[in-house]
Amino acid sequence: MRRWVAVILMLPFLAAGCGDRSLILTVDVLSFLDPADVSEAYGPIPAGLTGVSVDVASEEVSLLPGVEDVTEVSSAKLEIGASFDNTTGSATGQLQIFITSADSADVYSTAPIADIPVSVTPGNVTNVSTEVTSDALAEALVQDKVKIGVRITFDTSASLAPVQGTETITLLRATVITKKKL
Amino acid sequence: MPNHCRRVAVVCVVAAAFATSAQAQMLDARRLGMGGVATSDNGASRTANVAFRAVPAGRGTHSIPLPIGLIQYANDHPTFDTDDPDFNIFKILDLASNPPLTLSLSKPDEVSGDISIFVARDSLSVDLDDVRRAIPEEAWKMGGVYHLMAIGFGVKNFFVQVVPTIHVRNEFDLDDPLRRALRDAEPFTGNTRYGTSDEGVAQAAVAWQAGMTLRPLYRLPADANEGDQDDPSADDPRRNGATAFYMGAAPKYYWGLAYGSVRGQGGITTGDTLFGSGDPVAIDMTALTRHAAIGQDGGSGHGFGADVGGVFFYKNLELGVGVNDLGSEIDWKTTVKQHVYSDSLNEFTTTTLGKDIDFTSRIPAALTVNVAKRMGSMMVAADFVDTELKTMVHLGVERWLGMLAIRGGAYRDANGRWQATGGTGLRFGGIGVDLAVATHSRNVEEERAAELCASLTLY
Repeated sequence: MRRWVAVILMLPFLAAGCGDRSLILTVDVLSFLDPADVSEAYGPIPAGLTGVSVDVASEEVSLLPGVEDVTEVSSAKLEIGASFDNTTGSATGQLQIFITSADSADVYSTAPIADIPVSVTPGNVTNVSTEVTSDALAEALVQDKVKIGVRITFDTSASLAPVQGTETITLLRATVITKKKL
Repeated sequence: MPNHCRRVAVVCVVAAAFATSAQAQMLDARRLGMGGVATSDNGASRTANVAFRAVPAGRGTHSIPLPIGLIQYANDHPTFDTDDPDFNIFKILDLASNPPLTLSLSKPDEVSGDISIFVARDSLSVDLDDVRRAIPEEAWKMGGVYHLMAIGFGVKNFFVQVVPTIHVRNEFDLDDPLRRALRDAEPFTGNTRYGTSDEGVAQAAVAWQAGMTLRPLYRLPADANEGDQDDPSADDPRRNGATAFYMGAAPKYYWGLAYGSVRGQGGITTGDTLFGSGDPVAIDMTALTRHAAIGQDGGSGHGFGADVGGVFFYKNLELGVGVNDLGSEIDWKTTVKQHVYSDSLNEFTTTTLGKDIDFTSRIPAALTVNVAKRMGSMMVAADFVDTELKTMVHLGVERWLGMLAIRGGAYRDANGRWQATGGTGLRFGGIGVDLAVATHSRNVEEERAAELCASLTLY
């Protein structure tokens, strides 16, 4: 990975040569996740509960080292997509995405970057997606390494049966727009 | 990077561009209007054929450039401040390629645009957008043989001179996968080598030259008015209809001051997965250098060469052939080193392969063939110039209508692209004003642009 630094870091220099232009870095974060963490079974979660959390993934991911040193982030966004193949029960809840620097002790101890409302019903596949932007996200995405956490929180208080299914992350794509910092 | 370092880098880049491009800009509007063609009475081409020295000056002219582009530059010039949002290195390189001495009538579109990189675990693509235009389809070649200001004198048919001579040549190339990745935004793939290569040579010498010119043949037509003081063409073989042959030869001794060459290549080879675990990219770099310098390893070099040429006139038709630096070679005692990068140790290892190794460098010859036909107030001319890196052809025509001259021409430039020129001139006794409009591709993008050139001509 680090060997790419020499190659990648040349590109901001090229961008810098072209006036007030930008380097647009798009990272398919999903591709870096362990396939075992991309799809995760949840439940059975008993009916009648609130605030039941399922930590789907917590993984350290290497991004592009050195980008922070040569560029200034002007904006960043994270596109998120997930599907819930719910077999039994119904629930409402949130899909939360956490991204922190790699030296953070617990990725879930920070505020989530994204908080997506979810509603699942028996025998149905529910797809959710959103796009988030924030300064915290921008700072995180130019780190050499980050920790990424995915958590689902369910409220099964209205369910008649235990909630059970499989959650799959379908999209996790970060786009960072940087300016030169030479 | 500190500001001063950045500025030094910019200056170095610009200086390099100047070194390779400045000579390409023609500031003689009369000659430019005629496609830049060389003739025996064209001062700019006097050094192209040593035999031109022997031909009477005739209606030879002297050109004084008028740097009208400086006005335009004063109003609109690129910033050299790397902190300025408008800083654009390509604008500066274009400025270096086209010193603002001529008026720019049209420019190629500015190289700009964002650079986009897409990264996934097994995918990497780089879209340089507009910057792609600055990546040529073939190797970057630059250099030439530069005969700096000659110092010397002549007596009758003999002359001696000292000519500082520099030969520079560099060729930098990308291999096909890297070129496609950068120029065509083709995604990088696994188990592929992306490489570059560079081959450069630079040598400096002082040429001590002694030459002689001859006129072995000169036969005037029966009706010629030889020696007529009132007719400026009476003794001019270009216009008096004489059958004449002039030739010249000037052997030279080279005192080599320094020589250096490098042949290197480097690249990265991707692994099975572009961004897999571990370190899937292998880096390789090797370079072979050879050098010698006066007062240093190997000392000075010694060699010989010659400039030779001939020009033939028949019924106002001129045909000239000149070869400069013919057979020019310099013998050196060189030090040869090999530099190899170790991927595992992350360092270069340098091995001296030999010292005082005999090596003969070559100063490439330049061939100029010119033909011109003068018919009263009209001249049609063409030339062919072949050098180490480029072959150029110039075509031109000039017609005088009283005080007014109309000119047209075309030339095949160093990139093999045909350019069109045209111009006009007004003559008032011994002085004239000339204007020329010409297209050119002297820019980073190698795209066509147009310029207006002006100069004064002393007749």
